[in-house]
Amino acid sequence: MGNSELTYASAIEELETIVNEIESGEVDVDVLAAKVKRASELIKFCNERLKGTQAEVNKILVDLEEKEGEAGSGSEE
Amino acid sequence: MQQLPQEDIGTQKPYFRLSELNAAIKETLESSFPDTILLVAEISELRCKTKGHCYLNLVERKDDQIIAQMKANIWAYAFRKLSEKFETATGETLKDGMEVLISVNVTFHEVYGLSLNIKDIDPTYSLGEMARKKKEVIERLGREGIINLNKELKLPLVPQRIAVISSSTAAGYGDFVNHLEGNPFGYRIYHELYQSLMQGQEAETSIVASLNEIRDRIGLYDAVVIIRGGGSQIDLSCFDSYRLAAEVARFPLPVITGIGHERDDTVTDIVAHMKCKTPTDVAQFIISEMRNFEERVLEARRRLIQKTKEIMREENQRVSVAARQFKHIVASTFHGEHTRLHSAIHKLIHGTSATVNARVNIMQRYSGDLSAGTRLFLQSEDTRLKGLEQAVRLLDPANILKRGYSITYHGDRVMKDAKEVGEGDFIRTRLYDGVIKSRVEGRDGQQ
Repeated sequence: MGNSELTYASAIEELETIVNEIESGEVDVDVLAAKVKRASELIKFCNERLKGTQAEVNKILVDLEEKEGEAGSGSEE
Repeated sequence: MQQLPQEDIGTQKPYFRLSELNAAIKETLESSFPDTILLVAEISELRCKTKGHCYLNLVERKDDQIIAQMKANIWAYAFRKLSEKFETATGETLKDGMEVLISVNVTFHEVYGLSLNIKDIDPTYSLGEMARKKKEVIERLGREGIINLNKELKLPLVPQRIAVISSSTAAGYGDFVNHLEGNPFGYRIYHELYQSLMQGQEAETSIVASLNEIRDRIGLYDAVVIIRGGGSQIDLSCFDSYRLAAEVARFPLPVITGIGHERDDTVTDIVAHMKCKTPTDVAQFIISEMRNFEERVLEARRRLIQKTKEIMREENQRVSVAARQFKHIVASTFHGEHTRLHSAIHKLIHGTSATVNARVNIMQRYSGDLSAGTRLFLQSEDTRLKGLEQAVRLLDPANILKRGYSITYHGDRVMKDAKEVGEGDFIRTRLYDGVIKSRVEGRDGQQ
């Protein structure tokens, strides 16, 4: 599971699912470590996006613009 | 009728000079319409000259066709009073397309011809007209089934990329940007201005053009914000127009308004996804949405940490139960050490008290020596504690593994009995450093 396609919505959903699983007590100890690691990645992702530098936000925009491709209204910066 | 002058008697054919005709028309008209007349008409091509005099056309339409038209003017002194009165009552400036009830004089000028001179205006009529038109627009949007379209869109969880329709010179725009950028939580919000005229005749077209520009780059934004204001409260009629309201209603991104007025909501406010009073309120709304999201993350994080700690604590207890099996080994290793320590402590204390007894007289004079004895005692206590610490370290499962013991798992279970596995089963052996995976070839049970 890479982070490239993460959105705020998918991140919070995955994070809350993990927490619910762990709280239900069904998670094996060996798996727990992996789950906690993933959860902290998701938390980090959200924090960095919320508070990231302007450069990061701009990068997100550039990525999106590239995705748009031939829509090609051109970047303004 | 005045007597027409007959200048050339010889031809017997009387004629007028143009000036005489015009003078005659003027007199006839003005005597036919001696008083001011109350008139309802629509303003068109209103323009004010530098001296403050205003010139306009008054028209009447039927099914969008002009069926009557007349030049009109308002002199500067009248216009000042009249426009102020109108703005105070309606919150609008006089402009093209407005239906007005006015008092006029019919005038005729020998050079400039026929025109109506506007003396006064009754704003309540226009107010009623505007309300009626607004109601019509709202009804039409409802009829066409688009009035709630923008409201039905879902605002992204974190509205962080904002297209702003405003004027860079508007006070409201500055407030908006300052609020976003100075938010106390350190959120980064990307906003891009789509420069637009926010009042006057051109506003509607300008705002619609900006919306179309944004539509072409729709993937870049989470929401559109339309803000203006700060100063004047007038000139909001463009926000009541069908064209702008319909564009906003049908816009594929949520539109948030902060038009900055205290009167009734405009039609644009009504169709928008979310209506705020001022640009600052819009900024606060965006930040609060982000805050709500962050609080969800923080809550998940808090629950995660709490539960994980709890599980780890339980797990450690379970491991220490397993470690108890090794306790006697550890204890016997430790026993010799312990005995030695004890006798050392004993000796130290004894030795000290013997010295104290022997030197009781000196001690009375040099009471400082007492503290030396205490120091010695404390040192011995320290040594004892260090010994205990070592014992605890030895009990730590990691250290047990370090000493060459290992834990064997079958699946997720710690194995305690060779009977738990059969030939061909896979088992994992956890060493101090690393895990070995192996297949069982055979086993020796205890019985």
